[in-house]
Amino acid sequence: MIIRFLKGWAIAVLAVGAFFGSAAASAETVLRIGMTASDIPLTAGQPDNGFEGYRFTGYTIYDALINWDLSSADKASDIRPGLATEWSVSENDPTVWTIELRQGVKFHDGSDFDADAVIWNLDKIFDENSPQYAPDQAAQVRGRITSLESYRKVDDDTVEITTKEPDSFFPYQLTYVLYSSPAHWEALGGDWNAFSGKPSGTGPFKAVNLVPRERLELVPNPDYWDQDRIPKTDRIVLMPIPEASARTSALLSGQVDWIEAPAPDAIPRMEAQGFSIVTNPYPHIWSWHLSRVPDSPWNDIRVRKAANLAVDREGMKVLLRDLMEPAKGHVLPSSPWFGQPSFDLHYDPDEAKRLMEEAGYSKDNPLKVTIKISPSGSGQMQPLPMNEFMQETLKEVGFDVAFEVMEWESLLSHWRAGAGDQINKGIDGLNVSYATVDPFSAFVRFMQSSQIPPNGLNWGHFSDPKLDELMTRARATFDETKRNEILAEVHTYAVDEALFVWVAHDVNPRAMSPNVQGFVQAQNWFQDLTPIRME
Amino acid sequence: MAEPTGATALGTPADDTVPRRTSPRGYWTNVAKRLRRDKLTLFFALLLALVFLSAIFAPWLAPADPYATSMLKRLTPIGTPGYPLGADELGRDMLTRLLYGGRLSLLMGILPVVNATVAGCILGLIAGFFGGRVNMAIMRAMDVFYAFPSVLLAIAIAGALGAGVVNTIVSLTVVFIPPITRITESVTTRIRKQDFVEAARATGAGNLSLIRVHVLGNVLAPVLIYASSLVSISIILAAGLSFLGLGATPPEPEWGLMLNTLRDAIFVSPWVAVVPGVMIFITSMSFNMLSDGLRHAMDVRM
Amino acid sequence: MTAYVIRRFLYAIPIALGVAVIIFSLVHIAPGDPLSALVPADAPSSVVERLRRDYGMDRPVPAQFVLWLGRTLSGDLGVSIATGRPVAGELTRAVANTLLLAVCASLIGFPLGILLGGVAGYFNGRAIDRIATATAITGVSVPHYWLGMLLVIVFSVELNLLPAMGMGPGGSSAWSWDWTHLRHLVLPAVTLSVIPMGIVTRTVRATVAEIMNEDFVEALRAKGMRESQVVRHVAKNAAPTALAVIGLQLGYLLGGSILVEVVFAWPGTGFMLNTAIIRRDLPLLQGTILVLSMFFVLVNLLVDILQTMLDPRMQRA
Repeated sequence: MIIRFLKGWAIAVLAVGAFFGSAAASAETVLRIGMTASDIPLTAGQPDNGFEGYRFTGYTIYDALINWDLSSADKASDIRPGLATEWSVSENDPTVWTIELRQGVKFHDGSDFDADAVIWNLDKIFDENSPQYAPDQAAQVRGRITSLESYRKVDDDTVEITTKEPDSFFPYQLTYVLYSSPAHWEALGGDWNAFSGKPSGTGPFKAVNLVPRERLELVPNPDYWDQDRIPKTDRIVLMPIPEASARTSALLSGQVDWIEAPAPDAIPRMEAQGFSIVTNPYPHIWSWHLSRVPDSPWNDIRVRKAANLAVDREGMKVLLRDLMEPAKGHVLPSSPWFGQPSFDLHYDPDEAKRLMEEAGYSKDNPLKVTIKISPSGSGQMQPLPMNEFMQETLKEVGFDVAFEVMEWESLLSHWRAGAGDQINKGIDGLNVSYATVDPFSAFVRFMQSSQIPPNGLNWGHFSDPKLDELMTRARATFDETKRNEILAEVHTYAVDEALFVWVAHDVNPRAMSPNVQGFVQAQNWFQDLTPIRME
Repeated sequence: MAEPTGATALGTPADDTVPRRTSPRGYWTNVAKRLRRDKLTLFFALLLALVFLSAIFAPWLAPADPYATSMLKRLTPIGTPGYPLGADELGRDMLTRLLYGGRLSLLMGILPVVNATVAGCILGLIAGFFGGRVNMAIMRAMDVFYAFPSVLLAIAIAGALGAGVVNTIVSLTVVFIPPITRITESVTTRIRKQDFVEAARATGAGNLSLIRVHVLGNVLAPVLIYASSLVSISIILAAGLSFLGLGATPPEPEWGLMLNTLRDAIFVSPWVAVVPGVMIFITSMSFNMLSDGLRHAMDVRM
Repeated sequence: MTAYVIRRFLYAIPIALGVAVIIFSLVHIAPGDPLSALVPADAPSSVVERLRRDYGMDRPVPAQFVLWLGRTLSGDLGVSIATGRPVAGELTRAVANTLLLAVCASLIGFPLGILLGGVAGYFNGRAIDRIATATAITGVSVPHYWLGMLLVIVFSVELNLLPAMGMGPGGSSAWSWDWTHLRHLVLPAVTLSVIPMGIVTRTVRATVAEIMNEDFVEALRAKGMRESQVVRHVAKNAAPTALAVIGLQLGYLLGGSILVEVVFAWPGTGFMLNTAIIRRDLPLLQGTILVLSMFFVLVNLLVDILQTMLDPRMQRA
């Protein structure tokens, strides 16, 4: 070992001169991406690391029955056919969905995708007794496909899925289930760990060369079923770089070509060096989720409204160097679900003070609230400075905000436990940012009383019969236009009731070198890597 | 081994730790005399006193509110009028936060050593004085803790307990107990075996009074000197834990945490980001010099 | 001698066992659900319970310890909760990277420390001694993570000469001994070498100074021996102590590089430990600490034995 090492050192010293500054020229085009995750997201099918995982190891290597349409930067993205060509709900029984599968699709290992593969993959996450049951994959996705009751094969190209109750949101849930190759899993001796090292899906990219914690390489799948989405880059290298300053320095020194979420402060320097910053708002909300358990101070609507009016969102925008969109509600005003709330979220400290005084608080006699926050986390933007900013701006109108700072993973478990749990005693709110891509994840899981923990993520134990009724109705409405109208009513009501302290929508900043061409940043958490060219 | 492997190494304190001393009063007069002549040590003692005073009197000295943010002033460079040391990522005055930061940083650095000295002395005295199985049990347990590199042990405990000032103090205390126990034990054992102690015991002196009269006085000097050399390590480690996000929590001013949060700003305002580290450096350096000076003055060989 | 080696080895066994107990209990005093690294907040509880069974976390703690110890002894360090990959495999690569960094830091720190310490001890009390001593004290007083930041600011941010992070284009899988990769090693290795440099300097200085004061040095000189030969004798006498401190420091380098690895995003054990802590990946945390402390126990053992071989007087009862 030592001898080899010394030898290596000697050779290295000799070689330094020869290699100095010379870069190996190659005809291959390579795009290197620095992700925010601390590790390569899981590659065996269902990724972890939230939506960043879906973005980089999910929708690249795999397809869902229903995919996201990520081709436009100008409009909110919606779903489109993936491995399914058509889906429809039965006229007689609105819980039965018939799904027509795309024909002629092959997995990366050459085996066929068909109804058996669909059933096999659903068993993988739902049937604990099936040999291919993958508990870690099930854990990642089961919470995203909550309506599914049962499934069966109709013929080779058709499957039928039954939901627990009529659920018009169900097609959105199908976008989260990804399909791994059963034949390949068999060939690897039924070992999911081996499968992660050599994944096989149907997606536009094949995964090669996984080095845990360091890199994953993606190469084009020339036989991809959608000829328009055959990747235009020869190789994409994904690297986990969790620290913002490390990502920044990696980009500036040319170690990567693209980074997710650059440190806002470094952006002027990046721009000065010719890097471009790409942004676009997307369905994301950074808020304080308020506790509504019986003794919570937030049960007073004046206090909730005062907090919303006390936040200087424009000031925060300066803090983030423009990398945010001030919130006007739970979803973006461009969303079809925004509606017409009469409560306008803006900075009005005088009105906020007045409301607080009415509720019995002032700067000298402040209302003490304790909020749980984390120093980092997926979608959390810059949680520490942003929360400290909130603390300052709320102080002016009569809030005395204290923070309980904990690691992201702990915060999530406290979030799941709900405000009524012992571990959240004395806690008045928490700061977890949310994806509002589909109606269920945008509204139902937080606002419907049936979702109070342990059943769901209604952390604050919020319960309002009017909202419950509206959301149940939306879920049972299969006509899109009508459904959107009901959802707009939901949102209008939620904003007028000031259910959250809404602060900012992220704009999903990424920085890239001028060599990266052809990227279209969709208004989504997910992005399409296939059209990118390196020049 | 003639000198301790010293800072950050927590090296095994070696065997000949008994100070050679004659009459107590003459000894301490000598120590004071030697210290007065040691200009370098005096200089660092003065520096340290300044650091302490500035932390204690931070509310009177600081030009601004340590928590007051200003979006317009964020990452102001060093030397801007009104912001002699610049402003941090939230526009808070760096000078103010440095002064206030000393409070937590010094507390988190010194308290573990104090705790460990008390606990280690007690354990060492018990082990040394009673010998036999008691000694065996205590000292073998200490050996186990010695099997961890100190940084690793501190981070492992703090990492398991989670972030927080108290957790940091607990984890560092655990790290420092074994070496202090070892010193105390070795001195105590040696003294216990000396003739005059045996003689005192024969005249019927109780255990407690034996410890108080004969042992404690001899143990104190080497332990204090060793402990003073630990403070420097402790300051660095405590700030290091905060730097990893395992110590103090925002928005408290603390030097290690300030380094951590300013790291993202090194591309914008690099020299502001460096400032908190200078304070850690000065403090730890002063403690090291002071400890060295004390050792020479007290003529303790370890 | 052989008896001593055997005794020393046997003594290491209960220590190692004690270490295992501490590491195991560490993880169990940790607040929060150990499964949180894997399970998204919205996973149904039936899935979570199944996972708990799969990881054996539903059993009583002593049973878990016995199971864990048994598996560990057979080389199975368990499976990372966050990634599902075996911890042992993850550690192998990380240990290799840390070793690379530690050895390079040693190559800088130890020779420099020996040189400075030797010169300072030989010229005890002169100006050169004071310079060396000051350097050493600075070395042990500087917060190394801050020094790392400082070097990054100077050499990466301001001068743009050296990269600030990582192991280079290929990561550790494609490490090669060319400048493209080596330049990534420069800053972390220098940062990491400062503390051992300081400690080695101090120890060697004190040892050499003490030997120089001993009678036999005068005797050698009186016999008309040339000064270079005197130096050789002194070096020979100082070697066991120097070796001991170097061995110990190598152990500390392996286990104590976490802060430096985090500053430079160096994919070694420390960086992995940090990730494990942030993600609360307890099996990974256990495995990493276990391997590092066992390394340390082993290094201590080897140093003891080596020291005894070099200097039989040091043999302890």
